[in-house]
Amino acid sequence: MSATKEEFWRWHEYRRTMPNIKPAGKDLITAGVDVGSVGSKAAVMVNGHAYSWGIIRTGSNSPESAKKALDFALKDTGLALGDLKYIVGTGYGRVNVPMANKAITEIACHAKGANYIWGSSVRTVLDVGGQDIKAIKIDETGRVVSFLMNDKCAAGTGRGMEVFADLLQIPVEEIGAMSLKVESEPEPVSCTCVAFAKTEAIGLLRKGWSKEKVLAAYTRAMAVRMANLINRVGLEPALVVTGGQSKNVGIVSRIETILGVKCLPAPNWREGGLDPMVAGAFGAALLAKALYEKAQPVR
Amino acid sequence: MNKNETVERRYLPEISRKEIDELKNTVKVSSQKIIADNIERMKKADPHRPDAMKYFDDIANLFGRRQQEIQAEKEKGKKVIGYLCLFAPTELISAADAIPIRVNSGWYDTSKLGDRVVPVEVCPVIRSTIGAKMIELSPFLEQSDALISVLTCDGMTKLSEILSDQKTIWGMNVPRIKDSTQSLRFWSDEIRHMKTQIETFTGNKITRNSLKEAITVSHRATKVFRRLQELRKGNPVIMGRDAMLVNQAYTWDDKKRWTEKTEALCDELEKRVQQKDWVCNSDTPRVMLTGTPMFWPDSWKLPTLVEEGNPQGIIVADEQCSGERILSDPIGVDEWSMDDMLNAISERYLMASTCPCFTSKDGNEDRINWLLNKVKEWNVQGVIYYVIRGCMLYAMEYSRVKKALDKINVPVYYLDTEYTREDVGQLKTRVEAFMELLNARVDF
Repeated sequence: MSATKEEFWRWHEYRRTMPNIKPAGKDLITAGVDVGSVGSKAAVMVNGHAYSWGIIRTGSNSPESAKKALDFALKDTGLALGDLKYIVGTGYGRVNVPMANKAITEIACHAKGANYIWGSSVRTVLDVGGQDIKAIKIDETGRVVSFLMNDKCAAGTGRGMEVFADLLQIPVEEIGAMSLKVESEPEPVSCTCVAFAKTEAIGLLRKGWSKEKVLAAYTRAMAVRMANLINRVGLEPALVVTGGQSKNVGIVSRIETILGVKCLPAPNWREGGLDPMVAGAFGAALLAKALYEKAQPVR
Repeated sequence: MNKNETVERRYLPEISRKEIDELKNTVKVSSQKIIADNIERMKKADPHRPDAMKYFDDIANLFGRRQQEIQAEKEKGKKVIGYLCLFAPTELISAADAIPIRVNSGWYDTSKLGDRVVPVEVCPVIRSTIGAKMIELSPFLEQSDALISVLTCDGMTKLSEILSDQKTIWGMNVPRIKDSTQSLRFWSDEIRHMKTQIETFTGNKITRNSLKEAITVSHRATKVFRRLQELRKGNPVIMGRDAMLVNQAYTWDDKKRWTEKTEALCDELEKRVQQKDWVCNSDTPRVMLTGTPMFWPDSWKLPTLVEEGNPQGIIVADEQCSGERILSDPIGVDEWSMDDMLNAISERYLMASTCPCFTSKDGNEDRINWLLNKVKEWNVQGVIYYVIRGCMLYAMEYSRVKKALDKINVPVYYLDTEYTREDVGQLKTRVEAFMELLNARVDF
């Protein structure tokens, strides 16, 4: 699954097992499966603690992607599907997660997941996924207070970044850092619509703009859009970013500049930290635990 | 009759008879499918659906029974007067022995055809009505001998101009400031002018007796209309979509028969209340809809998502001109003189409306009061503020409504959409997340 030279849009598919947890028979093991439009994420939790997770690219078939992601998360853990007491499906393909006991929207799951990753101080979550953006206000327990979602167009989302990676022939995971390598911030492109932005970018390149400058202009436009959504829902610190674009330093730092607040820093997923891209799956696995416990007879 | 033979078309494109027939057939088939699907889903949502709903399902087939009835009446010489807005004084139409019928269009497919005449930025209610006229799809619009168009917004104003290519249109100028005496005087002149226009057109004099009779019919309808909404106050005994369909059917149906059938429905529902036969669990979030009208059949998209969602919600009230605003307010007549009746009609159609096309000293406070009262009395747990793109007035009033609802700690969700069916997946996430939010306030 390694990136080849031609596939600039390709990002890391990976899995992780937390070494400090050893599941035993009495433990409550739950899972969350988040089938997004671009990435499928699965997380396994032991007594409400993240144990393992996996991220793959979503294929054309949602049920299959869900299964693959969960198998990937379970791989080499010694656990099997039968060990999972309760599974929550979430994301765009949540109704197509065949092994799930229940479907919950990604909005509720990202809220819960952000609360899990960063703790109870989080009040505003920006989830930037493959094809939509959500600004979510939450309370100290990770419950949704209110939310806003962009309309049906994929402007300014992960999918747009993939298109730009291909266009400029830069690996998608380097786009964020590259977009910051400009002496001064250019004007944002006038339109974040993926199709139009692409045309505009080609025009700018012909005008002699560097790739960095074009990226800066596009990333800026995306960040402005996201900041607007956050302002509309009502910014209340602490602010965090989840979803695939949480890894895009160009986006995150620009949002911080525009809003004048710092986001809580994301744990470093390359060093085993809880990956904000998996926030929805973590939240789903936690809600799975709560739902399982609720369904048990009171002793 | 249609004027298309005599008047030059200033707006509508020339379309060949062949293309009209082909498009009409295709869209009609697709529309019949959507109507049947909507009804099928409403049946499935409530396995014990009241027997009385069968009648309304029948009326909801826009190409069926009601169309034939009206055709038969027309052949006997009756005039049909269509209207595009609830401010049209339907009692005057009935009193002149003509048939009032609402002709706003709720078809997605025809809204796409309307794009040939006006830009996509224009609200789909307008585009859909234009498209329906282009292919002669809407039975009620086609059967109308004249149309009353109340110029409430920019869309309605130009729509009436566009339709005048093919229809006799009577515009009514509506004052925008509701609470001034000169506004009422102006509007009451418009009402009186409309009376003369209807009389001349139909050749029937509106008499004291015929108007009194028409108002009395409205009073009876209002009474049972209110009875139905009252039944939605407690534990849910009827699905929101069923009630919405009954409410909207009033605008197409024979008024007396609608009243009888709705009484029968209410009798049935009252029995169910006694038997504690509810349509959903008592902890299902109770939702109110407000905003842009939802016209049958394609606008059933959103209510269907709410009531079939996971988690599910139940619509217990609305504040829409396609719903509860239709009949909630009676015409307050003191003395049954012609003058007094006309004054009462003027007041009813102007003062009772909560449409955002109005403003007043306190802005559109009447709407806020309606919403707050509904929330309180109907025990509403969440409000969906529905705006179809292009509907500037509803979109602009949102901030005020939100503030008012924030103050009483009732969540409101702004949901913008179109007539399109392409955004259903995305809307589903938004609606379900809102239902989860409402649920979480109770228990998660």
